[in-house]
Amino acid sequence: MVMKKLLRNPLSMIGLLLLLGFILVAVFAPWIAPTSEMYANDPYRVPRYGWGNNPEPPSSEHPMGLTQGKYDIFYGVVWGTRTAFLVGLIVTGLSCIIGIVIGSTSAYIGGKFDEVVMRFVDVFMSFPFLIAAIVITTILGRGLDKVIIALVIFRWTGYARLIRGNVLQVKQEEYIMAAQAGGVSHRKILIRHVLPNTIFPVLIQASMNMGSIVVTASTLSFLGLGAPEGHADWGQMISFARNWILGTPDNPVAYWYTVVWPGLAIVLFVLSWNLIGDAFRDIMDPRIQG
Amino acid sequence: MITYIARRLLFLPVVLIGVTLMIFVAMSFLSPYQLVSTYIKSPEELKNQSLDDLVRKYGLDQPVHVRYVNWMRNLFRGDLGYSVSANMPVAEAIARRFPATVELALFAIVPVILGGIWLGTISAKHYNRPLDHLSRTFAIVGWSLPDFVFGLILLMVFYGVLGWFPPGRLSMWADSIVLTGDFTRYTGLNTVDALLNGRPDIFWDAVRHLIAPVMTLAYLWWAYLLRITRSSMLEVMNKDYVRTARAKGLTEQVVMGRHVRRNALIPVATVSGSMVLGLLGGVVIVETVFDYKGLGLLTATGAQQLDYTLVLGTTLFYGLLLVLINLVVDVLYAVIDPRVRLE
Repeated sequence: MVMKKLLRNPLSMIGLLLLLGFILVAVFAPWIAPTSEMYANDPYRVPRYGWGNNPEPPSSEHPMGLTQGKYDIFYGVVWGTRTAFLVGLIVTGLSCIIGIVIGSTSAYIGGKFDEVVMRFVDVFMSFPFLIAAIVITTILGRGLDKVIIALVIFRWTGYARLIRGNVLQVKQEEYIMAAQAGGVSHRKILIRHVLPNTIFPVLIQASMNMGSIVVTASTLSFLGLGAPEGHADWGQMISFARNWILGTPDNPVAYWYTVVWPGLAIVLFVLSWNLIGDAFRDIMDPRIQG
Repeated sequence: MITYIARRLLFLPVVLIGVTLMIFVAMSFLSPYQLVSTYIKSPEELKNQSLDDLVRKYGLDQPVHVRYVNWMRNLFRGDLGYSVSANMPVAEAIARRFPATVELALFAIVPVILGGIWLGTISAKHYNRPLDHLSRTFAIVGWSLPDFVFGLILLMVFYGVLGWFPPGRLSMWADSIVLTGDFTRYTGLNTVDALLNGRPDIFWDAVRHLIAPVMTLAYLWWAYLLRITRSSMLEVMNKDYVRTARAKGLTEQVVMGRHVRRNALIPVATVSGSMVLGLLGGVVIVETVFDYKGLGLLTATGAQQLDYTLVLGTTLFYGLLLVLINLVVDVLYAVIDPRVRLE
């Protein structure tokens, strides 16, 4: 039913098509932008063509041009799609699991335990996410794995709070009491009876957050705290463009391709998730059905 | 009202302990030798003492609770250690950079809030008609545009091509005047100081440098505010008292302005807390993109050089700031919605 509505709405249709495109690019990256022999053992390394620092405009060989350090933009954008999905999926998966385990246990046990856990969650949520991620990457050091750790540490709280609310509701239902009276173990009740009835909204929410996770990860790369130099990553591709904003005296936008291509990739990626998410919210929100 | 504020104030130390504990836990991932730099006051201290002496001197070999109390005592004295990347004590670096960020925030907050609410109102009034679709598309594109991408595009267009809004805080000529003795720094906010010194040319120069960063911050948050204002307006518009107001013959303008928008703004006030959180993060990015020398750029450059002393210090400062801003937001919230006070 939901899917049908999503397909009927033109905006979410565009979102779904965009997303499909990105998935195809990620899956077929080795065919779209083949890795040269030299880097065969590390396909995420963006190849460099030539010496020097200057970007070079698009040519038949390099359809999107070369950015600062002669890194191939097309290769970086294509393989960066994989990086984006990788970071998005790992962060969403891990923070979802942690959030669901902690949130549902906390709500199911209730009482003082629940109170303490929720205050803990409050403290985590009261902090600017990006600054917290900066602190963690400063302490742990640079790298995509550290970015993932930082994101997971500050992302699970939202899911924990969401599922807690749902579990608190379901906990009062008669079938749970029946299970408890029947002597079913708490662990089994939680996994078999409570979670299947509460997990769905959390999973939806989680998948809709993919866009914002990828933005944060690439922001950290842009600030020079994420992927190591040369790793295929949209944020880093854009950070290369920073020194070439001014162009040449006779052509102020001589280096447009350094920012436009990777920028377009990240904007469309996030847009696709937001379009789907927005339509979803309207479908699920009974208040504005008018 | 006063009891409400008092209650909020009583809650303040709890939040502060939470924030400091969190940073303290983060610090415990560093070794005592690394932590020394967060305690020393100047590089001179390193000259005639060994690291072991310093570790002992600052009690870094002590158990956790002793270290926490020591550290808190330092904080109350305003001692945040010495920053290698800024080449000065962290507290001093923060004091120097803070006015710039305040200036940026002050200039950003009014257009962000008014623009977002205005767009949301339009969208709700024209629900499911072209204007609604237009403003929503505008907003959803904004929401999908990472601020560093949008900032770079603005920079390319308005600086590279048109030459209107250069990066930085002031042009070279203005900077050289501001740094001389004739120009009195009353507040550290360039625009205010320029006016107080009777220099409209410098005022204009400072504003010119603020426009692009403010635009970057605003676009993203317009999208957010539009979405919230729109859905809460739509909800309120279906309420009985709105129908009553229409039925007794009030003009559309009065119904919208007095009955609908007033009530619809309550959820907007609720999210302003999280908006402040986001703006603080956004400031880091925007300042980096536009080379605007404020607190955010200080943090970002510190982080790039793995200067944890500086990053921890500024984060702590952000934490304190946030607690205070949230207090103000809560009080404002109680002013808008009397029900909150009575809870």
